[in-house]
Amino acid sequence: MTTKTHRSPVSEFRLLTMPLVVFLLVFLGFPAIVNLVYSVSSVSFETLRSPEITGFGNFADVWRDGTFWRASWFSFRFGLLTAILECALGLFLAIFLAPLIERRSWLMAILMLPLMVAPALVGLMYRLVLHEFAGPVPYYLWAWFGASLSFLGPGSAFWTLVTVETLQWTPFAFLLFYMAYQAIPREIVEASAMDGARYRHRLWYIELPLMMPTIVVALLIRFIDGFRVFDNVYVLTGSGPGGSTASLSIYIYEAFFKQGAIGKAVAASVVLFIASFVVLYGLNAIAARRKGAAR
Amino acid sequence: MTFARLKKGGLIAAAIATLLAGPAFAKVTVLGWPGGPEEAALRAAADTYNAKPDVSDDNKVELLFFNRDGFWDKLQADLAAGSAAFDVNLLATYSIGRYAPFMEPVELSGEAKDVYGDQVLTTMQYEGKQFGVPTDLSLHFMYYRKDLIDALLKDDAAKAKYAEIAEKHLGKKLEPKNPDEWTWDDYAATALYFTQAVNPDSPTRYGTVLQLKNLLFNMMVFQSLPRAYGGNWMDDAGKITVDSEAYRKGLETYKMLYDAGATPRDSLSYEFAEANAAYASGQVAAMVQWNAAASELMSKEKSPVVGEVTEAIAPPAGPEGRFTHIHGLGFGLNKNAANKEGAKAFITWLSSKEAALVYARNSGAPALTPDVVKDVAAERPDLVKLGEFAGKYGYVMNGGTSAKALSVYELQAKEFTGYWSGQQSLDDALKNTEKGMAELLK
Repeated sequence: MTTKTHRSPVSEFRLLTMPLVVFLLVFLGFPAIVNLVYSVSSVSFETLRSPEITGFGNFADVWRDGTFWRASWFSFRFGLLTAILECALGLFLAIFLAPLIERRSWLMAILMLPLMVAPALVGLMYRLVLHEFAGPVPYYLWAWFGASLSFLGPGSAFWTLVTVETLQWTPFAFLLFYMAYQAIPREIVEASAMDGARYRHRLWYIELPLMMPTIVVALLIRFIDGFRVFDNVYVLTGSGPGGSTASLSIYIYEAFFKQGAIGKAVAASVVLFIASFVVLYGLNAIAARRKGAAR
Repeated sequence: MTFARLKKGGLIAAAIATLLAGPAFAKVTVLGWPGGPEEAALRAAADTYNAKPDVSDDNKVELLFFNRDGFWDKLQADLAAGSAAFDVNLLATYSIGRYAPFMEPVELSGEAKDVYGDQVLTTMQYEGKQFGVPTDLSLHFMYYRKDLIDALLKDDAAKAKYAEIAEKHLGKKLEPKNPDEWTWDDYAATALYFTQAVNPDSPTRYGTVLQLKNLLFNMMVFQSLPRAYGGNWMDDAGKITVDSEAYRKGLETYKMLYDAGATPRDSLSYEFAEANAAYASGQVAAMVQWNAAASELMSKEKSPVVGEVTEAIAPPAGPEGRFTHIHGLGFGLNKNAANKEGAKAFITWLSSKEAALVYARNSGAPALTPDVVKDVAAERPDLVKLGEFAGKYGYVMNGGTSAKALSVYELQAKEFTGYWSGQQSLDDALKNTEKGMAELLK
């Protein structure tokens, strides 16, 4: 005779989630706690194991540091602009190339190619492409117009970086929008056409509203990715003359490794974490309220 | 448990143990600079050392290489963590102070002074103690187009135009000179003369190419200009002296050249490779660049346009003389070395004449004294100039090997490029630099 032990659903849930909890505690919780300690400590590479708690001086340093605010503004502008440009271009391509891709699916593979290249390599590639004496773009500009633009000069570096980022990541937005566009039930579109809706009306009143959740998610993902940009900017311009192209990630990296200001770098990352948390919490609350209102 | 399972488990355990114990097999593990001539030279030196009959099996050298990207940051993290994965590690002049707490001073061979000379040995010293063997030295040359300068010196009309340009931009009439007699003003006047934006008849688009990217290495290239006017990071009392006429002169000269279009507009994103490409294109008349570029810029095969007409000399002079910023790569002793005695023996040998010559013959760039370099002069003529310039014009700024030297270069790079790009005034750039340096070097 065998005996069966019955576990309650609650204890089963606890048991099953245990590995995840342990994983999160070890790989996220521990570093987070160490970071919190470092952010209120005087710490260097020599004293990593024995930081001296000194209060909120590191946060005050970050707050007073003009470079931090400049980097924050750069990251915000860069993230917002690239997200809007990538989504606008991605949406345009998804809607207008959809009939072509349906017939020639191999085009999709070509359009996805930029995503396959590591951002640091993209930076290196454009360093070469835009170089006045080695790059094809300035070469032809000199040949045709007798002058070339200063692509990475102080006045234009930001826009060059935005263009490079947009060219690389538009395929990502395009992929999301293409899938969302394909998922729109054909019968709805056909019914509206039967009712006499013109193409632009179908696009504006039916297709775009149905794609809106995907558009919002794509904008958010691309904004986050653009906001935390590091690789291609660092390779192309470093932090720029006078720190003019330093993103927040570059600011934190340079404070940590180049200046050895570990406490300050970690304090900046804590500020970034809190700001991100507040924004995401706010967005979540708005989404929940809209969901409640829709019911 | 079956025997088969036991055997399988044993094999897996043995494999894991072997993997984990990998570094323990190393006799003396040396962490080197990966890729390039430094690696080739170190390999040759290690082979020579290992072949010596008096080096026991327990003290043979094994080499270890990280990737170059982020090398110094990874090394710092490893040393700070007390790693014993290597006994001897690479170090650089500007980072000795940063790593010194995790390293031990070393004793060099009795020949070291005669092999390298005092000036070069200082590149591996910190607080009066020797922390490494200076195996590779970097300094700067003034590269110039001999064909263009010769033509200028022979042409009276060109000389008149040169004087006119010098008076307009530098406020004084200057005559073209042989580059070996140049002051920094002569260099600036020549750069302006060979710039099409200033002189439409110039055979080159730009007179010079400045490396103005916000990068610490570019600051090393820049330092020799203020130094020639007496500039230094701090005086003997430890007071920061960057807000000085010497630095003003240097910064203003660069700014004037950039604003006049004597260097490409994208120079603010240029470093070593970009500057070389610009010069090699044949559109630049002269530039200050690292000695490492000599093999590329003076080779007909690698630089067909300029290879045969390029000369390299020491940077121009100022009222205080002629200077070239030197910094070295070398090898020092990890405080947590597993085989400290073996490591010490290798370091002592590495500083001997025998090792220096092996290193030099196998692509390394040691700065050797005239008596030693003559043994390899036929194979490595470039080392003759390297040793001569290092001994005659080499300098390390006060504080240039301190724990925060790297951060000082970083700070200067940010503030000075901010001035050159027009984002802040010269006064602000110098004030911010002095304030930051006082904090870093206190």
